[in-house]
Amino acid sequence: MNPRDQELMERYIYQVVRRLPKEQRREVGLELQELIGDMVEAGQPMEAALTKLGDPEKFARQYQDDRHFLIGPEYFDTYLWFLKIVLICTAIPVFIVSIVSGIREGAGLTDAGMAQAVVTSAIHGVGKGLANLIVSCIGVFGGITLMFAVMERRQIKFERERETEWNVRQLGDSPAGGKTAWTPDLLAPVPDKKAMIHKGDSLVGIVFIVLFCVLLIFAPHFFSAVFKNGEVISTVPVFNLEQWHVILPVFILSLAVGLGDEIFRLVAGRYCRPVMVSNIVCGVLQIVLSFVVLKVFPLWNPDFAAELKRQVGEQIGPSAEFFIERWDGNTASNVLFAFLVVITLVEIGTTVYKTLRYGTD
Amino acid sequence: MGEERDLLDGLLMELRRGTLVLSVLSQMKEKKYGYSLVQSLEEKGIPIDPNTLYPLLRRLEKQGLLESVWETGGPKPRKYYKRTPRGNEIYHELKGQWKEMSAGVEKLLKEGEE
Repeated sequence: MNPRDQELMERYIYQVVRRLPKEQRREVGLELQELIGDMVEAGQPMEAALTKLGDPEKFARQYQDDRHFLIGPEYFDTYLWFLKIVLICTAIPVFIVSIVSGIREGAGLTDAGMAQAVVTSAIHGVGKGLANLIVSCIGVFGGITLMFAVMERRQIKFERERETEWNVRQLGDSPAGGKTAWTPDLLAPVPDKKAMIHKGDSLVGIVFIVLFCVLLIFAPHFFSAVFKNGEVISTVPVFNLEQWHVILPVFILSLAVGLGDEIFRLVAGRYCRPVMVSNIVCGVLQIVLSFVVLKVFPLWNPDFAAELKRQVGEQIGPSAEFFIERWDGNTASNVLFAFLVVITLVEIGTTVYKTLRYGTD
Repeated sequence: MGEERDLLDGLLMELRRGTLVLSVLSQMKEKKYGYSLVQSLEEKGIPIDPNTLYPLLRRLEKQGLLESVWETGGPKPRKYYKRTPRGNEIYHELKGQWKEMSAGVEKLLKEGEE
């Protein structure tokens, strides 16, 4: 074999093995060396031999018989549906919120005439809207895909476990070496109608979570009291925006846990033990995270009451006065926390009840 | 026209793929190395591309139907494959099934000709 042929062969082999798992590379490389050597010895020129073997990428693919998908056919429909909902729920509010805040920022950028100010702020607003739209949609897409990909892997584990679950039939003599043959009485009953989880049921939850996420990320200042004194509009934020970079991730994590649970429910499609476990675990996690956000972090704007009072000034009405007097972040946290705990417990309770009543097989 | 061709090619490939394992197993009573198998199968009218055969041999080994050994005595190292006892069992089982099946298909095709 002349050096040129040798070089060609090495290049070809490299192009195949670099696409294979590390532990196979050496062995396959040796095999190919043997094969190509044999083909050349049988009288074929090197070019002809490599041409016969064809595109190294396709060759490598023949070696990889393992699963090559992120989300399999079983989940694909749910995945698409979910993606659609969440993308819509993200895209529209992100776009609107960003445009509004972009326009507000843009208006301050120029001192020139009215017309120019309008144009500048419009461009600024749309630009910001589009930029946030793209970033958030990519993020959402990635997040959802990741959740489903994890689910795909986990579910496969579930199914394997189920296959090897002990069964009394294994004691009997069966022809296929201990593996039970399938018989019609192995068919699980069709789940009770009340045990089914429909897409519609999850819709509200998902839309709410996503909208809330979007607002918290892109417009925490929307949660504010707004005042209009003549021409000047001023706002008093409810949340502690100075600490927002610490609070937001925990907030989002808590919402993501909720979203993950919704996805899992949908994929399962009915109340059953894994759904119940997931619901309990996610519920507890959410309670813990809410506790962190509400009770540990300085969530509330510490000057809320004082600023509110200053804004309202002399035109204070009796109800406003009552509210300001009583406003206290700690109490708000307690009330909200109690509310969240009750909601979560009710949800867990419903799931447990439905699972035990209808969902066991 | 090209579509027709593709369809035919696809169907043909499926048809061949099913018989490939049986063909390969049939040749592996004695140890053989990859390229000699390519040649002997081709001589017997069952051509198989090396880029199909080599991955297939590895897969059959992973499934425990073949075993392999590298022999370094010759001018260059060679990997030899051979049926395992389990491979023998499976091969004979497959062979029996194939005979029944091909007889059945043969009958069907004859009927179609009448």
